[in-house]
Amino acid sequence: MKKRSTIAVGTALALLVAAGPLVAHHAFGAEFDRDAPIQLRGQIVKLEWVNPHTWIHVEIEKDDGTSEVWMVEGGTPNVLLRRGLRRDCLTPGTEIIVDGYQAKDHSLTRANGKDITFTDGTKIFLGSSGTGAPYEREMMAARRAQGRC
Amino acid sequence: MRISRAITCASAVLLMTAGAIEAQDPIPRTPDGRPDLQGNWSNATMTPIVRPNGVGLVLTAEQVTALEEGRQDFIAQDYEISDPDREAPPEGGEFTGNAIFDAATGGTGGYNQFFVDAGDVVAVFNGEPRSSLIVEPENGRPPPYSEEGRARLRARAERDGQFGAYDNPENRPLAERCIMSFGSNAGPPMLPNYFYNNNYTIVQTTDHIAIMTEMVHDVRIIRVGERRPLPDHIRPWMGDSWGHWEGDTLVIETTNIHPEQVLMGMSNASFRPSEAIKVTERLTRVDDDTINYEFTVVDPLVFDGPIRGEVPFERLDGLLYEYACHEGNYAMENVLRGARAEEARERERR
Repeated sequence: MKKRSTIAVGTALALLVAAGPLVAHHAFGAEFDRDAPIQLRGQIVKLEWVNPHTWIHVEIEKDDGTSEVWMVEGGTPNVLLRRGLRRDCLTPGTEIIVDGYQAKDHSLTRANGKDITFTDGTKIFLGSSGTGAPYEREMMAARRAQGRC
Repeated sequence: MRISRAITCASAVLLMTAGAIEAQDPIPRTPDGRPDLQGNWSNATMTPIVRPNGVGLVLTAEQVTALEEGRQDFIAQDYEISDPDREAPPEGGEFTGNAIFDAATGGTGGYNQFFVDAGDVVAVFNGEPRSSLIVEPENGRPPPYSEEGRARLRARAERDGQFGAYDNPENRPLAERCIMSFGSNAGPPMLPNYFYNNNYTIVQTTDHIAIMTEMVHDVRIIRVGERRPLPDHIRPWMGDSWGHWEGDTLVIETTNIHPEQVLMGMSNASFRPSEAIKVTERLTRVDDDTINYEFTVVDPLVFDGPIRGEVPFERLDGLLYEYACHEGNYAMENVLRGARAEEARERERR
């Protein structure tokens, strides 16, 4: 499975490579510092369901026992809405893990959400566009059984 | 009995006639008899604007399967459960090998696939699976720059070279400033951005066509009728568009496009138009679910020849949502503050 997909993706990317170079809508490379990786483990305290990008506010406990709120950048809410996801899928108090990189201005407690998961490692959202692909059907069924979006 | 049989026969003939008419005209029409282009549409696709080297225009069934399965596998991999005891990502960033993705993220990884809706299928135009949206020049790539085009490019680079790319908001791309669509969504020509929200709503009357682009909420107003163009010096975003019908095809001719608007973005055919730009678009509804969208870009002060492309617009089974880009544009602040922070770190290093 892995090997086949690597080859197939290679072919797909060979096509897509021809589309570069690009100017990204909001260049993450200009916003975030790839030399400042972070991992946040904490509770959601707020969700900004706004364009151009969603922002998830996470409160983490620091080593000195004090807490700090970080803002994590996600994609446009339009895609999530189209997939039938709601802002109440991420209720305050939910524990999550965020992997990402801090904003280049290190005085800001902001980061991108390169990988956002629940504490058991499952992704907080799923769904690609209703492709009906087997992996999607199975995963969505499992999620619903857990009472998750 | 005879009469009723005659009526039955007449009804049958009428039904057959109605059926024949329906079979000849498979597209919905407005009350004035024009093809009805209204509704929500999407041009999302994984087919790039510019063709890669060594590939023909029409893909084989095997190539299509490999591409689309590859895309599905790529998404599926991103949905795999992460190790809950994982470490933070590596210093120096992570690069995927996908040029578009890596250029956009600078190695910071972007975000999970559930935020992305890039287009999971190859574009199929008139039954042909395509390797590029550009069909002319024949190699699917933009023509060379004209002599004037090269001179203007040099002048532009010299001008831009006087300023830092992050000196102020005005130096940032229009999309980042929430002024114009990402890539070339609004156009013309209207092309996918390969990330998300490649959706359009078309509203049609006898004398106007309005096309709303979801990202970033740009609305084109196309007047239908005898062309009364704007004076040369007035050059609005998305230009001055006039439409007319050629049979069942809506033809839109656009000139006077704003010189700062980048056309055919998200590809190495992207360019800023000159005062000579003319874009001709042809929209033909071919069935319930498809509009064939063709475009021709002619700008002799940029390119040494025309660019022609073909893009299927598929019916969107869903709604468009307001892309209120100024609502929470923290990213602009982050980008500019990031540049100031890097400058301060550089000063300290010195």
